[in-house]
Amino acid sequence: MKNFALGLFGEPSSALAAAGKLKGAGFDSLELMSPIPIAGVEEVLGEKKSVIKRFTLFGGLFGALFGFTLAAGTAVLYLHPVGGRPIITIPPFLIITYEALIFFGILFTVAGFFISSRLPAFRDRVYVPETGVDKFAVSVACDNEEHFKRAEAILHEAGAEQVREVGEED
Amino acid sequence: MSIFERFTEGWKKYRKPGYYREFDYHWAMTIDLDKCTGCEACVTACKAENNLPIVGEEEFAKGREVQWIRIERYWEGEYPNVKLGFIPMLCQHCDAAPCETVCPVSATYHNQDGLNTQIYNRCIGTRSCAVYCPFEVRYFNFNDHHWDSPLDQQLNPDVTVREKGVMEKCTFCIQRIRQAKDDAKDDGRRRVRDGEVQPACVQSCPSNALVFGDRKDPDSQVAKSMKDPRAYRVLEELNTDPSVVYLKKVDAKG
Amino acid sequence: MQAETNDLQYADVNNDIVRSIVETGPRYYVALGIAGGVALLCFFFPWFYQLYFGIGAAGLNHPGVWGTYLASFIFWIGLSHSGTLLSCVLHLTNSSWRKAMYRSAEAMTLFSLMVAATFVMVHVGRPWFIHWALPYANQMEMWPNFRSPLLFDVMAIATYLTGSSIFIYMGSIPDFAAVRDRTTGWRNTMYTLLSLGWRGTDREWHRLHWAYTFLAVLIIPLAVSVHSIVSWDFAMSLVPALHQTIFAPYFVVGAIYSGTAGIVTVMFVLRRYMNFEQYITKVHFDNLGKLLLLLSLIWTYINMVELFTAWYSDTSTEHEALSYKLFGYYAWLYWEMIAFCAVAPLLCISGRFRTSMVPMLILSIAINIGMYTERFLIVGTSLSRQYLPDSWGVYVPSLVEMSIILGSFALFTTLFLIFVKIFPSVSIYEVKETMDTPTVTSNAEPIAPPEGSPA
Repeated sequence: MKNFALGLFGEPSSALAAAGKLKGAGFDSLELMSPIPIAGVEEVLGEKKSVIKRFTLFGGLFGALFGFTLAAGTAVLYLHPVGGRPIITIPPFLIITYEALIFFGILFTVAGFFISSRLPAFRDRVYVPETGVDKFAVSVACDNEEHFKRAEAILHEAGAEQVREVGEED
Repeated sequence: MSIFERFTEGWKKYRKPGYYREFDYHWAMTIDLDKCTGCEACVTACKAENNLPIVGEEEFAKGREVQWIRIERYWEGEYPNVKLGFIPMLCQHCDAAPCETVCPVSATYHNQDGLNTQIYNRCIGTRSCAVYCPFEVRYFNFNDHHWDSPLDQQLNPDVTVREKGVMEKCTFCIQRIRQAKDDAKDDGRRRVRDGEVQPACVQSCPSNALVFGDRKDPDSQVAKSMKDPRAYRVLEELNTDPSVVYLKKVDAKG
Repeated sequence: MQAETNDLQYADVNNDIVRSIVETGPRYYVALGIAGGVALLCFFFPWFYQLYFGIGAAGLNHPGVWGTYLASFIFWIGLSHSGTLLSCVLHLTNSSWRKAMYRSAEAMTLFSLMVAATFVMVHVGRPWFIHWALPYANQMEMWPNFRSPLLFDVMAIATYLTGSSIFIYMGSIPDFAAVRDRTTGWRNTMYTLLSLGWRGTDREWHRLHWAYTFLAVLIIPLAVSVHSIVSWDFAMSLVPALHQTIFAPYFVVGAIYSGTAGIVTVMFVLRRYMNFEQYITKVHFDNLGKLLLLLSLIWTYINMVELFTAWYSDTSTEHEALSYKLFGYYAWLYWEMIAFCAVAPLLCISGRFRTSMVPMLILSIAINIGMYTERFLIVGTSLSRQYLPDSWGVYVPSLVEMSIILGSFALFTTLFLIFVKIFPSVSIYEVKETMDTPTVTSNAEPIAPPEGSPA
């Protein structure tokens, strides 16, 4: 069981300010929860790097290779003279290559999204349904009571409407 | 052979243009329009040989007849100075056939005899080959056909009966070509002799307007008649490279 | 930005949209019943008759072997082209007016693609073997022909269907989560599964943003390629009026054109019958009207170019195909198309016209009738006049075909009606983004730069 201090804010800027202060006070595992994406999170919580673009690139390259091999490879393995054209007809196979590139690009992007965003996750995690409507929440992992007190104070100071203590299964 | 070897072999062999000219046979036909009287004996013979359905009056009026070979009639001039010309039109067995490239399931392809073949079992009936064919010689089975007794007794056992939803067309009587090749093999010969095999339309032509044979054999009747100065091919400008050559009708009055 | 949404609060958005899913009036069931019934009676029943009887149930003949089924296929593919494509373009250009309408536009894409895929089955002679067009390992040692434009189609549509269903789903995950928190019973279970445990953390938003952007970048060229490939089914043939280099851009523009008109129709219906007046506003109709005007001008231009080149080169076959199209058996359809697709949209020059709902609805339906005609003419007139005059002919659609066309609209409506009760048909979180967030309070201090290295 892990404990979290969770402050609810009515607007994104004060939630961001609270997060910045907590960060400054040495709290590391911070999470912002919001009904809309907040601009400027990266300035406060540090820059985010996602692996999704690598997935997309790799998926595209794999797809292109797969598409051309599928068309040209099977054409050679099952010889089938058609229309007096060469067995390996490059221009039409490039269209297949193109479609396969996009197909696998899409699939790999989705895989990258799932992996890097840690979804799907159906276990109970820190969450308050209000953040799906109009509240902006900052949650801080607290090791002990003393930590919690400090976090609570900072959150209140930053203008939190409410501070709750919530737990999460490990 | 490993897959890689098969791949490189295939690449070498089939990347070069005109590889289909090196096939075993290259069956071809010439049609002498000077000799054609438009009697339609070829049409009838084809119907009997290849189990073509008789679609009936109603379907015929809708334009759903199946005639692997048909006689096209063209009038020239105004009455009373009318000239009538016939062009028997059948599958041209093009070497660069547009119908073959378009089939998504490879139901039509070029075989080792240089024939443009149609695999009825494989056809899913997209009808795109009929659109791509500039000669309009591909026929679709819009319905299932039946032969009333005793007509069902005269069906040719060497040829299948096509079901609904399948495209069909002239095969140059591939069943006869197969038979001739088997006979040649039984006799210990490597090749079929000229004149040994004739499609039904050629066989039945009373004026010998149609000549059929292997174009790769320079002494064959068909190869000789293709060298005729009157020789031309229909819609040659489309570059489909047809195997059927027409000999122009020459008017005595010039 | 929109004056009409200013009085809305975040909570109202959730309420309105959850209500649109959970609260179902009798009118909805009546509409669903009628649409489903018509789909069954007019689409599936004639289709099953045709399966039993053969393609002969349609009016097809030689040389008119392609008919309304293929025209419907192009029409539905075309209709699918605006939803996801427009949504992607507007997402990448950060246009805020996209946000209220993109979900239903994407749904339109998805369902019209499904209807189009069904038309492939209706079109082919032996649909029970349709899987032979897919490259799957089999004991027959047979593969599809990868050189065929029809197979490009199979690949393109499979990719497009996958891509647009993933795109609409990805964009809906946060909304599923919002709906999950407000529902009970089986709905709660369903939305819990669909939302994948979404919490709206900074990390999730960041990843969603990038994944969504990459998908948009991939889908735009895909959508262009899909309709280009559909046009190549025709343009790769030797048929005089079909063998045109301009066909690919012509089809793409035509697709976006009819798709945009389709969006106007759907927006009107959603606004009127789902009570989304506050979300789908006159701004949307105004912008869509401008888009329609632009597209109609491009479409007209391409049409003129096509006619002009055919007329100028004046080869015998081109000439015959052209004069048949303009003055032949189907000429009245051609002029109807010009009136609906080239002349009528000029009304969109007027700003008052663009913001009046009912005239825009009528115009959008007229455009789509015109665009259906265009697709029919491409198939119908071109095949009637090919090289050999001996095989010229006329094709007239049969009753079965007419009924299937009608039924396909009912099928689309049925699917769409099911969609509005499962998906939040207006994006909750993106609408909120366009709204004013509470102003910064005075006690907020300047944000200190983070200390230490970023984790």
